Order: sequence, then C-alpha cells, then structure tokens
Amino acid sequence: MSADAFLFWFLSLLVLVSGLSVVLLTNPVYSALCLAMTMVGVSALFVTLNAYFLAGVQLIVYAGAVMVLFVMVLMLFDLKHETQAFTRGKITGAIKIASVGILAGLVVGAITIGKSLENIKAVADNAQAADTTKILSENLFLKNVFGFEALGVLLLVIAVGTVALSRSKGGTHAK
Amino acid sequence: MSSMGTTGFEITVNLIKTVLVFLMMVQAVPILVWLERRGSAFIQNRFGPNRVGPLGLVQLLADAVKFLNKEDFVPDKANRFLFYAAPVFALIPAAIAYMAIPMSVPLIIGDSKFLIQGYEVNVGIVFILGISSLAAYTILMAGWGSGSKFSLMGAMRASAQIISYELALGLSIVGVILMYGTFNLTEMIQQQQGPLHFTGFGYESYIPWLPNWGIFFQPVGAIIFFAAAFAESNRLPFDLAEGEAELVAGFHTEYGGFKMLMFFIGEYGHMMIASGLMTTFFFGGYLIPGLTPNDVYQMGLNWFGSETGANIFNSVAHFLSYNVKFAIFLWIFIHVRWTLPRFRYDQLMDLGWKTMLPWALANTIITAAIIFAANYFVL
Repeated sequence: MSADAFLFWFLSLLVLVSGLSVVLLTNPVYSALCLAMTMVGVSALFVTLNAYFLAGVQLIVYAGAVMVLFVMVLMLFDLKHETQAFTRGKITGAIKIASVGILAGLVVGAITIGKSLENIKAVADNAQAADTTKILSENLFLKNVFGFEALGVLLLVIAVGTVALSRSKGGTHAK
Repeated sequence: MSSMGTTGFEITVNLIKTVLVFLMMVQAVPILVWLERRGSAFIQNRFGPNRVGPLGLVQLLADAVKFLNKEDFVPDKANRFLFYAAPVFALIPAAIAYMAIPMSVPLIIGDSKFLIQGYEVNVGIVFILGISSLAAYTILMAGWGSGSKFSLMGAMRASAQIISYELALGLSIVGVILMYGTFNLTEMIQQQQGPLHFTGFGYESYIPWLPNWGIFFQPVGAIIFFAAAFAESNRLPFDLAEGEAELVAGFHTEYGGFKMLMFFIGEYGHMMIASGLMTTFFFGGYLIPGLTPNDVYQMGLNWFGSETGANIFNSVAHFLSYNVKFAIFLWIFIHVRWTLPRFRYDQLMDLGWKTMLPWALANTIITAAIIFAANYFVL
C-alpha cells in the first residue's frame, strides 16, 4: 500500500468513526468534540486532494471558530437534563428512525452517483495543475462576485435577525 | 506541501525531522523557563534560582524530576478521559504549527536537498493559523473536564479571548500577504533579500544601509500581529484566563505535576510560533542582514574549498541567524510579561474589537490601495 493510499484510508476511517460518534454518543459535549474531530479529518482529506487553501480555511473557520463556540455554549448547559431528553421519549425515537432513513438514502445516493464520478475527476486533475488559491479567488471575486456579495448580505441579515429575535420580549430570560 | 514522501528514504527523513523539531521545541522550554525566572529576578532586583548548578541552570532538571514524581490524581467530579486528554492535546497544535516555519536555507548534500523545517506547506500562513486555532479545544477540554467552576470560568475566558484576537491576528497578516503576493513562508523570506528598495509609481529607490525587511513596509501590521500573538498565547498582559486573584489558576487549577508542565510547554510553544512568525514576516526570517545566501555560500566555498562544506556552512550560518532573531522575540515576550500589569476583562475586549480590529482592517485596505496605485499609476 502506498503512502497516499494509507493516508486516505486512515483519514477516511477517522472521519467516519468521529462522524458516527457525533450521532451515537449521548453526551452533547462529546458529540461536539467529535464533530470538531470530523472537521479536522475532512480538512486533512482536502490536503490529500491538493486543495491546501480549502483545508486551511476549513480548519480556521469551522474547526477553529464555529465549533469552539458550540463547545463553549454546550459546556455551560446542565448536561444531565440534556442527556435524558435525548435518550427517551417518542419524539426522539421518531427522529432517530427518520435519521436512519435519511442515512440509508444517502448511502444509496452515494453509490449511484459514485458511478458517474469519472468526469468530475478529470476536471479536478486539470484544476490542481495550476494555483488553486488563485483560481478560487477569481471564481469568487470576478466571475461570481454578485452571488458572493449577496451571500454576505444574507449572513448580515441573519445576524441582525438573530439579535432582534433574542432581544424581543426579554429574549431567553423572559418569564 | 510536500507529501509524506515518495520513497522510503524521503519518508524516513521526514519522520526524523518531525521528531527532531518536536524535541527542539520541547528542549527549548526548560531554557525558557530558566530565562523567565532569572529574567524576572533581574527585572525585580532579586537573584532567582541560583543554587543548583552554574547560574541555577540545573534547577530545571531538578524541577522535571520533581514534576515526574508528584502524585497523579484526578478530582472527584472530573471527567477522567478529558482530564487526561487535555494536556496531551495541548502539545499537538503548537508542535505541528511550529514545524511549518523555515529555519534555514535548504541543506544540499550531493543530490539530496534537505529543508531545514518539519515540512514545507504551500499555504504556510493559513496552515499555521488553522492549526494553532485548535489550541482553544485543549483549554475547553481542560476547563470542562476538571469539573471545577474556576477551571470552567478560566476556560471560557481563554477561549473567548482566543476567538476574538484571532480576527485581529488574521487581518494583520493580510497586508503582508498582499505585499508578498504569496502564502508560502520560504518565498516571503526570499523576497526580503538585499537592501531596502521600493518599486512603484514608475520609480525604484534603494536605501543601501537597511535590509529589505517586511517591518519597513508593514509597521502597523507588525505591531497588531505581535500584540494579538500575546493574546493568542494567553500570556501577560492578556492572561485573564488564569487571573490568580479571582480564578486561582484558571483552566489548569486542578492540574498538578507533569500534566501542568505539559500545558506550560504548550504555552511556550505558542510563544515560539509567534516569535518565529514575527521573524519570518517582518524581520527577514533566516536571512543575515547585508548578505544574501549566495554571498554566504561563496564565503563558505573560500574557507572550506568544497561544495559540501560550503553548503553545510551556509545552512548553519542561516540557522544561527534565525535563532538570534527568534531569541530576541522570545526575550521580548518574557520582558513584557514582567513589565505590564494585567488588563481588566472589558479593557481586553475593547482593545480587541474596538481598537485592533479597525486598525487591522484599515491597514489591509490602505495596503491594497497603495499596491494597486503603485502598480498602475506613473507619477
């Protein structure tokens, strides 16, 4: 087995196991930490695909900032209550069954789409020959600049909306 | 990034280098602790540790033995797995990020070219920022895993601080990236060769008695970067996370013995990354002022008469040059710690969000505007 193949199998195993643990563990803090682990693994997989910039951004934004906030907030909760709420009850059971159904659908979809992946691979080989960071920025800031800016505005709207919602009627501290 | 290597020889060399750089980092910590204790004593007009060995240097060996012999205990309310995992994880991001910093010109022996760094990453800055941002997890794991309120409060403060200052840190480097036009640390250092020269607006001006270092182009960026690096490594004046007066010792309140020492090593590791990056971005990296690597190579050729000798001389000379600059920044870190008082929490957040972030943004925009103008207009 070559070094690259070893890396791929090792990282895939890591991502799959930590991804499954996110769903299977009952303690929310462990789940969040496993999700962070999944992010790190995915970023390492990006590196093996020569998408270095994407890997770095994945680490900084998701693993380094978003997930840290999640973990921070989770650690302030009373977790015994949360653990019970997530392991009992009919609604939770229904959600679990629905999740299994979605997972099965995803697996079937992945197998079906996987057969038509050869074309995408050819495109990727072309892209990696050049400087991917430059191509990415040209795509974002020259070709698709309107969509990019619109997404920025959307995020701003979401941020303002969240603040407004949490402040109306005393927010989360309302009696 | 060079991958793991294609041949068995390359993989072996890369593995050895990884271990070597890690050991270098860990070995530097006792010296830094000694420097910190002696230095603080020097600043405060005391003696510091001076009993064990010459100048108290063996004190650290004695300390290490002491740490290893201490009782290994876990608090009753603690989460055993996270409690043990946190100190180990504290070492990993610091070590991995430090390996990406180039420490000398590549050593060429025969047909083989050895890079004097753990591995070369093509997007060096993004990689280092990404990896070192993972350090927040170790603090959170330690804080929550200890099952103590002091620990949790310390961890919350520390991670909130790290996330806030990461913005200013990242933005302060954008100007540098714009100026050099690359993410690659080695290419950045190569662009800082020779005397200081400005090109743009159709002119080219030289200042022969100054080196072509980044600090002369990005002074504001350098100051913001260095200040944010203090906050990232949780050192005074930004060490609210372990404010002794209110939180006992913050996130490592419950830790003792070697586990606490591992947090220490992690903290010093972040200090080393910050010093190494300061050197690389703003002070010419491993370059020797006034000499290009080619000049040094020719000198070596005159003295040793063989190409191998000249190559080894070249790498060693630049390695020493890097370490001199590196050591100066580490000393500044230590000196600041024993000079400035701690911030209040609201002062800390004000400084991060209301002062450093706008200045870093302004620096980015002005740099971009000047680079654009210098390339497209002729005076």
